[in-house]
Amino acid sequence: MDHLYENHNRDHFPLSSDSLTAALGAIEDMADSTDAVPDSALRNHPPAIFRAGGPMLKQFDESTASSQKGSQAPTPPRSVVGIGNKVAKPDYSEAKIVLAMVGLPARGKSYLSNKLMRYLKWLEYDVQVFNVGQLRRSRAHRKAQQSGILEDHTSSYFSHNNIEATKLREQIAEDSLEMLIQWLRKGGNVAIHDATNSTRMRRAKISARIAKEKGMSVIFLESVCNDPAVIAANVALKVSSGDPDYKDLPREEAERDFLRRIKEYEAVYETITEPHLSYLRITDVGNEVTLSRINGYLQSRIAFYLMNLHVKPRNIFLSRHGESQFNVDGRIGGDSLLSRRGLAYAHALPELVRNNIGDAPLTVWTSTLQRTIQTAAELPYPKLTWKSLDELDAGVCDGMTYEEIEQAYPEDFANRDEDKFNYRYRGGESYRDVVVRLEPVIMELERQENILIFGHQAIIRCLYAYFHDLPQADLPYISVPLHTVIKLTPKAYGCDEARYTLPIGAVDTHRPKPGSNVSQVEIPASTTKREYFKTTA
Amino acid sequence: MAAPLYTTASGLLFHAGKILILTVGLPARGKTHISRALERYLTWMGVKTQVVSLGDYRRKTLGGTQKLPSDYFTLGEKSPETMELRKMVSDGCEKLIEDFFGAGGQVVIYDANNGTRQVRQDLAEKFDKQGIHVIILESVCDNKEIIETNIRNVKISSPDYRGWDPDKAVDDYYGRIRDREATYETVEETTWPFIRIINVGEKIMVNNIRGYLQSRIVFFLMNIHNRPRMIYFARSGQSLIEHSYKADSDLSPAGWEYSERLKEFVVERRAKSLEQRGFNPNDRRLVIWTSTRRRAHHTAWPFLTATKTPSDLQLIPHIASSHLTMPPQSAVARHMVVTDREPTTTKAAAGPPLNVKVIEKPQMSEINPGVWDGLTPDQARKFYPEEWARFVKDPYAFRAPRAESYHDLSVRLEPILIELEREKEDLLIIGHSSVIRCLLSYLIGLPASEIPAIEIARGDLLEVVPTSYGVHSQAFHFWDGPGRRGEGVDGDDGPEALGRSKRDETNFYENYAEDTKGKKPVTTVELGFLTGEPEKVAE
Repeated sequence: MDHLYENHNRDHFPLSSDSLTAALGAIEDMADSTDAVPDSALRNHPPAIFRAGGPMLKQFDESTASSQKGSQAPTPPRSVVGIGNKVAKPDYSEAKIVLAMVGLPARGKSYLSNKLMRYLKWLEYDVQVFNVGQLRRSRAHRKAQQSGILEDHTSSYFSHNNIEATKLREQIAEDSLEMLIQWLRKGGNVAIHDATNSTRMRRAKISARIAKEKGMSVIFLESVCNDPAVIAANVALKVSSGDPDYKDLPREEAERDFLRRIKEYEAVYETITEPHLSYLRITDVGNEVTLSRINGYLQSRIAFYLMNLHVKPRNIFLSRHGESQFNVDGRIGGDSLLSRRGLAYAHALPELVRNNIGDAPLTVWTSTLQRTIQTAAELPYPKLTWKSLDELDAGVCDGMTYEEIEQAYPEDFANRDEDKFNYRYRGGESYRDVVVRLEPVIMELERQENILIFGHQAIIRCLYAYFHDLPQADLPYISVPLHTVIKLTPKAYGCDEARYTLPIGAVDTHRPKPGSNVSQVEIPASTTKREYFKTTA
Repeated sequence: MAAPLYTTASGLLFHAGKILILTVGLPARGKTHISRALERYLTWMGVKTQVVSLGDYRRKTLGGTQKLPSDYFTLGEKSPETMELRKMVSDGCEKLIEDFFGAGGQVVIYDANNGTRQVRQDLAEKFDKQGIHVIILESVCDNKEIIETNIRNVKISSPDYRGWDPDKAVDDYYGRIRDREATYETVEETTWPFIRIINVGEKIMVNNIRGYLQSRIVFFLMNIHNRPRMIYFARSGQSLIEHSYKADSDLSPAGWEYSERLKEFVVERRAKSLEQRGFNPNDRRLVIWTSTRRRAHHTAWPFLTATKTPSDLQLIPHIASSHLTMPPQSAVARHMVVTDREPTTTKAAAGPPLNVKVIEKPQMSEINPGVWDGLTPDQARKFYPEEWARFVKDPYAFRAPRAESYHDLSVRLEPILIELEREKEDLLIIGHSSVIRCLLSYLIGLPASEIPAIEIARGDLLEVVPTSYGVHSQAFHFWDGPGRRGEGVDGDDGPEALGRSKRDETNFYENYAEDTKGKKPVTTVELGFLTGEPEKVAE
C-alpha cells in the first residue's frame, strides 16, 4: 500500500504523545483557574460576532424586513430571522427506474439489491425491493393458513418440466412486476425486481411491459459468480439462516435440495447478451463490470456505486472523538481540545484496536477538527484527515449550549425538534446537508478495507444510518455514546455490530426527541437477518 | 487542477498504476473532445495526465496537408516514402508516450484513429510489456449531425485547410473519412479492456474494466456530451452583511437591483449568443443553479417571477416597489445601502414567460471562513497573526481554524463538476466568487495555485462555451453599483456610475477568501506588512 498522507495538512496540528501530555498539562492548569473557559478566551480571540441571541443578530433581524422593499419581485422570499429553518427535499420526481436482477440462485442478487437500496435510500430516493421469492413464500404461507394445503417448494417446484408450478411461478413474477409498477406510479423512484429473470423470454416480457409505462425505464443487473467458495458460502447461508422453504429439513438434505434447485435454473439460464437492453453485469462482485446502454444520471451513479463494491471481509470501526471540553460544558460545535477523560480515551485506544484487529492493515480517518485528530494521535496507523467528516455546522448557534439557544430562540428551537433532519441552522447545515457531503466518503468507504473513523455525533449518526438502513426521521436521534468504538462487519443482508465501551466516564450528549416516549432509537444488534416474508405483501 | 484527496510517494494515485488509453474511431467522431475532457478531469483530480495527439504531432513535424505527399491519406498502395513518413509520425508519438510515463506521468490518452485491429494489438502489446495497463476507448457516431457539426466547427478550421473554401474543405474531409472507412475495423476483440462511447456519451458500453481510477473514468465518460450549450457565471447580489458567512443575510437594496439587472442582461445576452450560433432561445430551457445561501437563491428570484405569465402575476399579491424608506435607526442600519433610483414597474409582464428552472445545491455554498467570520482583514491579522501570514503565503492550501481552504472547497465541488458536465440545457450559475473561481478554473484548466487569484467582479457575466479543444470564455460587464468590486466604490467611472460612488464604510468587503480581487500568494519580500506596512495586502 502506498504511504498515504493528506497533502495539505501534514503540518497542520502536528500532534504526538508529547503534545498530548503538554495539552493535558495545559488543561490541568486551566482547571485550577476556572471551571469553564471558552476556547476563544484562551487565545485572546474575539467571540463570534453573529452568534444567535447576540445583539448584532437581533438588531439585524429587526431591521431586515425593510430590505425587501428593494425587490421588484411580486413575492419576495421570506426574510431571514432567528436561527434557522426547515429545508425542502430535493426533487427526484423525474426519476423512475426499474432495476431487474438477473442471476442464478446464490449468486448474491439479494446482496446487491439490498446494498443498492440502502445507498439510494440514504440519498433520499424512494426505493423498494420487490422480492419474488418473498411473495411466493408469503402467498404459500397464507394459503397454508387459510386452506391447510401446504405447497411443495422443494426443487421439483422449480423444475422447468413441472408445467403447473412453472405457470404458478410465472404468475407470481408477473404479479410482483405489476405491484412494482403500481408503486412507481404512486411516486416511487427506484423499484428493484429481485428475481432470477434468467431467460431471454422473461426479460423481453419485462422490458416490453415497462416500455408501456410513461417515464419508466428498466435496467437489468446481472450478478455472475464464478468462485465456488463464494457460492458454497451463499448456499450454506441460505440453508442455515431459517429459510422457511427448508424449515423442517435437516441441513444436509436442505443443501442437497437447494443445489438441485440451482441445477434446475442452470438448465434454462441464459446470460444477458441482448444488445438492445440496458444492463450491468457484475462478475464476482468488485472484480469486473460490464455496462451496456447505460445512460442517465441516476443510472450512472448506480453503475459507479456497483463498480466500487467489494465483498472482501473487513471491519469498519466508528467512534466519536474523546470527550471534549465543549462536551463537558454542554456546548455544541466549536473546535475545543479533549478533556482529561477524553485524553485518557485516546491513550487507551491503541490497545483496544490492536486486540481487535491484530496485525491486519488499518487506515484511520479523522475530521479536520482538533478533537478527532487528538483522539487518533496515539494510533500507529496511516491517517487521513477529511474535511467532509467535520461536525454538522451549527451556524449562528456554534459554541452555545442548548439552554442558551432555547432561551434566545424558544420557538425556533422547538421547530428544530419537529423535523430535525431537515432543519438547517442559519449560516450552518442540516442533517440533510451533511448526508450530501458525506456521499463521497461513503463511496470511498465501500472501496476500502479496514477503516477506523473518528467523527462527531452527527457524522457518526449519518454513517451509522447508512450501514443499518435506518429511517431519516430517526437518524438525528441515534444514540452514539462517547468513549465507545462501534465495530461494523458488513454481511450479505446488513451489518453485524459489536460495541466496545471503555470504562472511562464521559458526559452524555444525547438529546432524546422531546415528547417522545422512546428515549432513543432502538438499535438492532445486527441487521443481517434476511426477511423471508413481508407483512405488507 | 485541484483536488486530490492525498498524494503518494510514487506520485501515482488510487493504486492504479500507469494507464494508456488508446482512442479508436473514424475521423470527426469526437475523439479529441473526449480526450481533452478526460484529460481536464483527471488532471483536476491530481492524476498526471497527458493527451498525445497524432494529428497535432504530424502537423507540427510535417506541416499541413499541402506539405504532405498526395497519397498520405488516400486509400491503396502508398509509396515507400509515404510509408516512411507515416511511420516516423507514429514512432514519434510513441516516443512522446514513453517519455511522459518515464517522467512520472500516470495516464496517457493517445488521440489517434487506431482503426485496425493490427495497429491496436501492436500498440497494446508493446506497452503492456512495459507494465502499462491498456484500455481501448472507441468513439462511434451514427448521428450524421454530430459528424457534420464536428467537421464544420473543428476540422476545417485546422491548419490543414487554411485558405480553403469551407464547402470544398468539408467535401475533402468526407473523402478522407471514406477512405478510412474502407479499412476501419470496429473494436470486437476482447483481448484488452474497452469502453465504447456512442454519439459522444449518449450511450456507453464497457467491457472488462476494473479498478477505481478506471471506474472513475467510466463514470466521467458516462456523464459527458457535446450538445452545444452555454454556461454562464454571475455572482450573487450584494447582501446586507457581506462579510459574514454565518449571518446568511438577505440581499441589500443594491443586491435586489442587481438581481433584476442580471435577469435582464442574461436574457438579452443569451439570446444574442444563441442566435449567433443559429439557435432559437425560445426553444431552450435555462437551468439556474444557486447555492442554498440566501444571497444566492434570492438573486435568482427575478428569473422565477419572469416564468409567470401576466395573468399569473395578477394572482400574486403585489408588493409595490416604492422609494425606500430609511430603516429604523439602529446599529445595523449602517449596513443598509440606500439608492435613490426612480421606482420601476415590474418588467416580468413584458415578453413571453421565461423557460427557467432554479435548483439550489448545498455543495455550492461559498468558502467557509471559520473563525475569521465577520472579521475585517485587519482584525483577522491582529487576532490570528500566524495563521494570517500562512494564509497570505499559500491562499490555496491554507485552512484557517474551522475554515475551508480552497482545496477543501474543490473537493466539495467535485460532484458539482460531474453534474456540470452532464447538464444539457443552458446553465446559469449564480454563485459566490470562491465557487466560481474553482468551477471556472476546472473548465479553463488553470493550475490550482492560481484559483484564489482569479478576479470575479460583481456585475460581470462570464460566458463559457464548451468547444472541442476546451472552452471559449468571455466576460460581459453589465452593472455598476455598490458592492461591485468589494471596496464600495464603483469600478468604472462611466456616466452610469455617477452619483452612486459613495463609499460604504461598513459593508465594503467580503470575507477574507471571497474578496473580489482574489488573493495571490505573497512572496517573502512582499510580507512587509508584518513589520508595519499593512496597506500592501489590505487593498
